[in-house]
Amino acid sequence: MSPAALEITSIGKTFGGVTALDAVTLRVQAGTVHCVLGENGAGKTTLCDLVYGNYRPDTGSMTLYGEPYAPARPAEALAAGVAMVHQHFSLVPTMTVAENLMLGDGLRLRLPRRRLEARLAAIAESYDLRVEPDTVVADLPVGIRQQVEIIKCLVRDPRLLLLDEPTGVLAPAEIDALLTTCRRIAAAGKAVVLVTHKLGEVAAAGDAATVLRNGRVAGGGPLSKLPTRELVSLMVARSPATLDPLLAASLGLAPADLETTVPSIRLSPQDRRKKAALRLSGVTVVRGDGTTALDGVSLTVAPGEIVGIAGVEGNGQSELAAVLGGALPVAAGTIEVGGADLTQAPPRRRTEAGLGVIPEDRLLDGCLPGMTVADNLCLGRLSEFRRFGLLNRRAMDRAATAVLTDYAVRAAGPRAPLRSLSGGNQQRVVLARELALDPLVCLLAAQPTRGLDIGAVDAIVGRLRAAAAHGAGILVISSELSELLALSARVYVCYRGRLLGPVDSDSPTARDDLGRLMSGTDS
Amino acid sequence: MSAVVDLLAGGVTMAVPVLVAASGELVSERTGILNLSLEGMVLTSAFAAVYGSGQTDSPVLGTLCGVLAGLVFAGGQAVLSVTVRANQMIVGIAANTLALGITSYGSRVLLGDAQGRTVPGFQPLKVPLLHDIPVLRQSGLAYVALALVVVLGVLGSRRTGLGLALDAVGADAAVADQAGLPVRAVRYGAVLTTGLMAGLAGAQLALSEVHAFTDNMTSGLGYLAIVAVIAGRWRMVPMMLACLFFGVAQALQFTAPAMGVNLPVAILVVSPYLIALLAVSGLAGRSRAPAALAVPFVRKG
Amino acid sequence: MPDLMRHPLTVAALASVLAALVGAGCVLAAGVSPGAAGSALWDGMFGTDYAIGISLNQAALLILVGGGFVVAERTGLINIGGEGQICIGALAATAVGVNAGGLPAAVAVPLVLVAGFAGGAVWAFPAAWLKVRRGTSEVITTLLLNFVGLGLVSLAVHENALLRQPVTSAETLPQSEPLAAGAHLPLLGLVTSPATIAIVLALVAAIGLGILLRGTATGLKLTAVGLSAPAAARLGLPVTRLEMASLACAGGFAGLAGAALVATAPFVLSDGFSSGYGFQGLVVGLLGRGSMLGVVAAALLFGFLNSGGINLQLVAQVPAATVQIVQSLLVISIAGAMLWTREANS
Repeated sequence: MSPAALEITSIGKTFGGVTALDAVTLRVQAGTVHCVLGENGAGKTTLCDLVYGNYRPDTGSMTLYGEPYAPARPAEALAAGVAMVHQHFSLVPTMTVAENLMLGDGLRLRLPRRRLEARLAAIAESYDLRVEPDTVVADLPVGIRQQVEIIKCLVRDPRLLLLDEPTGVLAPAEIDALLTTCRRIAAAGKAVVLVTHKLGEVAAAGDAATVLRNGRVAGGGPLSKLPTRELVSLMVARSPATLDPLLAASLGLAPADLETTVPSIRLSPQDRRKKAALRLSGVTVVRGDGTTALDGVSLTVAPGEIVGIAGVEGNGQSELAAVLGGALPVAAGTIEVGGADLTQAPPRRRTEAGLGVIPEDRLLDGCLPGMTVADNLCLGRLSEFRRFGLLNRRAMDRAATAVLTDYAVRAAGPRAPLRSLSGGNQQRVVLARELALDPLVCLLAAQPTRGLDIGAVDAIVGRLRAAAAHGAGILVISSELSELLALSARVYVCYRGRLLGPVDSDSPTARDDLGRLMSGTDS
Repeated sequence: MSAVVDLLAGGVTMAVPVLVAASGELVSERTGILNLSLEGMVLTSAFAAVYGSGQTDSPVLGTLCGVLAGLVFAGGQAVLSVTVRANQMIVGIAANTLALGITSYGSRVLLGDAQGRTVPGFQPLKVPLLHDIPVLRQSGLAYVALALVVVLGVLGSRRTGLGLALDAVGADAAVADQAGLPVRAVRYGAVLTTGLMAGLAGAQLALSEVHAFTDNMTSGLGYLAIVAVIAGRWRMVPMMLACLFFGVAQALQFTAPAMGVNLPVAILVVSPYLIALLAVSGLAGRSRAPAALAVPFVRKG
Repeated sequence: MPDLMRHPLTVAALASVLAALVGAGCVLAAGVSPGAAGSALWDGMFGTDYAIGISLNQAALLILVGGGFVVAERTGLINIGGEGQICIGALAATAVGVNAGGLPAAVAVPLVLVAGFAGGAVWAFPAAWLKVRRGTSEVITTLLLNFVGLGLVSLAVHENALLRQPVTSAETLPQSEPLAAGAHLPLLGLVTSPATIAIVLALVAAIGLGILLRGTATGLKLTAVGLSAPAAARLGLPVTRLEMASLACAGGFAGLAGAALVATAPFVLSDGFSSGYGFQGLVVGLLGRGSMLGVVAAALLFGFLNSGGINLQLVAQVPAATVQIVQSLLVISIAGAMLWTREANS
């Protein structure tokens, strides 16, 4: 038998006392797509970083096509024929595609422009990937940028290609195309490592899988011998039958694999008569460069109702979240919360009117990781904690401690910096802050479960449902289609700044309908 | 007419050291390193050039001393900015004070009674034809330095891999690192290039123009070079034009009375800074500072 | 256990030892005995009431500039513009002060100080506006405004139509008229000491700013804006207003320092009067690392070293540049070790 393309033997890595990877062993054969599966925080990204030379392992060793392999920096990994598609984009936005593709050629004087064109032609030939080399990257849509990332790797003709969660920002059709590309690359004799937390992708593209849990290998083998439900139980150490359908959905299990149906909230007639929790009429948002981000969006969320918004990233749903939170101005249309017109209101007045917002990017505008838990919880209402013109820190601590207990947040105390908390616990603090509004008329939750592990997803989804049961209208924006279908009664799709749908989530064809709307193939 | 020629000739002479220093600083800033210490680099180099020339009686060896001093100074700056990741503003300002202190101290202790005395320097090149055009009546050192400026402009343009690497490191060092570029090496190289050019600028100022060292003789020349980079919006050709304009504005301080123009000197002195303010304000066209300017880089983990 | 070697105070102490050794080397190389140099330095710092007074006056300026710097730093804005703001503050203060003849000190002194504060704040405004509206880096704009401010002072003291004193002979210096007697900062009243109330003013300002930053809702809001403007906006804080106010505050305190400078002997505005206090104040603010106590300590150190250095040259014939070398080495080594100490404490 020829040596494995990549063999990882008993590798371990700790960060400041926290074990990220422990005795992980992995064999990837050339010509195959090998999936690495695991929940958020299972150690998948750390594994990629070790293979790509971003860190050195503490213990263990690697071989690449039989040769000892220990990259000290990405440049060495690249030189050994290893390339990586990153979870976050790694292109210089101010440069053209061609310039980005030639960056990896190092500090040479003459740019290998002609050779690049030959390579691009060859890549178009063998993988059916095409790109316009003279476009500036910032002008490209997200899906195309992802292609550029892959072409950037293929230009170097690597022996091993790592893809770290490459599908997070793509539409269903784009995901299919990407997985096809992975198969083609493997068919060309290269080894592909596909890192993901979505099981659907594994089934579509993989030959073999390794499941990580808490930094250890929980199991693996050829996919022909591993049914999906066994993969789920390896990932979360629970039988799929005991999982909340929503949690199963967030793992990417197809609805057919689920036994229970989703309970959806049905509105009583008197709920319907109440004022709408949120009403958008013809909301239009124009970006700084004059292009339209949102084009006449109209939507009503009734009290007690959960409404979902799906869409491929970059189609306006980020702007929708920002415009509701007051971070972007409205060019036309109106926003009403509980009957009050908030179209031009600053964030403070929106909060007073009962509009809670969980922003899309927690670390950007959701919270202040550098400040304490108490500061984060109280910053919006400091006037309640004033004494003789000074801050009453003790009252702030008391208020924060109550929240920490109530929401089961694991933190060293109210004065612990928020950054010392795990992502799931940070999100609980943000959620607690927004749900504490009195009255809470409407809650906008943008990507509320992104990057969280099962336990945190469970807690947050439970809170959202409870808030709806208490009469708040809830608008969820998410890129996890399964999660939206499980959580909300109807789901809209953001496509090129317009709102399409809604699709009734009870409909048996809901998933396919949404997929078509998201990729714009449904007219 | 001759007043205008004098003005241009004076302007070019004033512009040369600024341009030489600015072209080195441009390389650094494109990779994201801000050297506020440019002033100190030029001053130290001027001192070293004068000292070397005085000791060896050779302006060429003096120039080498100046360049060496610039490189050593830049090396220290690079260690602090790239490896130690110190705050580039603090270090830059403190380094300028250090340079002022060292050169003032050095000129008292090393030059002693010879302070301010003329040392062997460069004379304008006697090239036929060229010599007859007043604007081009420059020393050999000036021509060498200007040739290097052109070389830097060509090598560092976006049409070369080197130029791409500079901009990539300055735009996002983490991305450049993941693409396999040696971020630290690029930044070290860039700061040392600044040191080399600052050394030539100092030598040009001290050996081609003044032929002596006086305390704080650069009096803001290094800052002016940084301002030229800003006014030129981090691009070579506009930066050259900015330097030329700054030189003419300086020369105008001396020739204005002869031309019968009565302008307050202060207005000429502040004009470069006002132009740079306009250039970065975004009120006239878009400015594009390197995104990672003065942001240190360390690989995560 | 926190690593003792990485404690900021240990680092500061080691940096001081290093700088002092280099300083001693400079003294020896100049052919002066360390003892003579040491006593000259000491005399220049603490030897006489006069020396202490001069040192305290300088420290007061540095506290004001550095304290203002810390306020702007809280919202994430780096104010390099202290020098220019001192200039415009002093310009405004001089304009008021030379015309304050006949006013009692209780009126004239506050007027001069308010004018200085307003002048400095106004000079910070273009930078704040460009930052908030156009996203232009305040580091670059405040740096540029320094040179414009210095130029404006030069213009004002050279032009008869502006602040230049009446030209009576060819020897009339390009400087302003002296401020009216009522506008002079009162002396502290210590015998033979030139110490003015500036140091009291500066300490009161430092305590006030310390309380503002650490104990009030405004301080917490400024911190939030500095850590993440988008998150602060989301939480309903008036981000642009807080940013502009904090940079204007930094400018105002630098302007106040400018006013104090011209309201102290020799009571005139002239070219180069600011002699780098703006840059030194910036370094003091940075070394204070967000703490007013740190700012006061650094300002006192620099103030006393400055006047000690002058005496070193006058009495012991050691170049005053030695003190510049010592000071800048101190700053560079502390700045270089900053990351090292921060990593240990986070």
